[in-house]
Amino acid sequence: MAEKFHTELNTLKTETLEMAHLGRFMLRTAVDALIRQDLNLADTVISRKEEIHQMEVRLEERCYQLIALNQPMAKDMRVIACTLKVITASLRIGRYGKVIANIVKKISDQPHIANLMSIPHMADLVIEMIDDSIEAYDKDSISEISDFSARDDTIDSLRQSIFREGITYMMEDPKSITRCTNYILVARYLERCADHACKIAENVHYMHTGERIEIH
Amino acid sequence: MSENTIISTNNLNLWYHEKRALESVSMKVPRNKVTALIGPSGCGKSTLLRCFNRLNDLIDHVKITGEILLDNKNIHASATDVVTLRKKVGMVFQKPNPFPKSIHENVAYGPRVHGMKDKTDLDTIVEQSLRHAALWDEVKDRLNDSALGLSGGQQQRLCIARTLAVEPEVILMDEPCSALDPIATAKIENLIDLLKKDYTVIIVTHNMQQAARVSDFTGFMYLGKLIECGKTSQIFEHPHEELTENYITGRFG
Repeated sequence: MAEKFHTELNTLKTETLEMAHLGRFMLRTAVDALIRQDLNLADTVISRKEEIHQMEVRLEERCYQLIALNQPMAKDMRVIACTLKVITASLRIGRYGKVIANIVKKISDQPHIANLMSIPHMADLVIEMIDDSIEAYDKDSISEISDFSARDDTIDSLRQSIFREGITYMMEDPKSITRCTNYILVARYLERCADHACKIAENVHYMHTGERIEIH
Repeated sequence: MSENTIISTNNLNLWYHEKRALESVSMKVPRNKVTALIGPSGCGKSTLLRCFNRLNDLIDHVKITGEILLDNKNIHASATDVVTLRKKVGMVFQKPNPFPKSIHENVAYGPRVHGMKDKTDLDTIVEQSLRHAALWDEVKDRLNDSALGLSGGQQQRLCIARTLAVEPEVILMDEPCSALDPIATAKIENLIDLLKKDYTVIIVTHNMQQAARVSDFTGFMYLGKLIECGKTSQIFEHPHEELTENYITGRFG
């Protein structure tokens, strides 16, 4: 029975990775749609919303079944606990992608202000954090996430900087208010996605070592 | 030995003939806590449990080296009276084994053997013990009925009451629920939780969920060795030893 359980656990992990990659894809594609003002790309992101939601429901249910039927302990229990958090974080990341895609549809008829300020750079850094947290979960390793605290600080600074810059442009030209407000919102969503990557990292650390950490 | 340790073993070894069943076991059993011993069949957990009240003395060709201290006194010292030791360290076995006597007689038997004659005193201790074993309400109107007429779970609680009647300090339980259904098991587990207020409980169990539910400390044994012993939450959440991890996640055993 233990063998069957471990096979099911591996399958759960594989499917959770698929969901994490979908969440990451939705965010990356939404940012690309924003940069290129590409409405088709934005629609691609929006069309995956239901799919990622269904994945969340199905995988969470699978976690609960594995717990109820196998009463996992030690590493097995930690893998499922971590997986539940990865599922939640991936859904949130995907949903932020969808929200950014909606913003693209609202502001695509006007040119970018200041080349989107630091949003493309910030998005690259956030996506790298998401990639590393997913890889750490996949490989059951913590080397990829050892510097997450410093990387999260950089993301926070970028959000602050985009906020200040956006305010400046809005004060200079009231016609930029809609676009800049949306840029500030996008920066806020990206920062939240980095927080979700940190949440995955904290849980991978717990899964790997059994010790809890907090990444500020 | 700290004040909170009731039993400790130092470098304990045991051989049945040539076969070494325990190897250099050193552990401390905390007072008024439940300690569970887990491990695959034949790992030595029941042997270790039986060492604590010298039940292995009854088996031929057993050789023991090392030390077992109960309340700081070596239980193998020549001054130790085995009857007194077994009064202090009671035992409940896998299969309920009531005497073929009345419910009352089963519980009164121990105190009577230890010299208690007064009927009122005996009645009091029978009631107290049955109450402690969470059985009083179910049997108070039929104390003179045969104990063999009780259900399996009730018989096991009667055996616990019989153990409590001689006022032990430690109660050893060797798979006390393995012959019981889930409801009777739940009652015994609740009882174990209540008992630790007044007694120290050491339980051997094959059921890891049970160990996780009832115990404060858990020791994992493998091939006669105590591989790891620690707080139950730590052992089941993140054991330090890979062998423990592999056993409790069902990768062997």
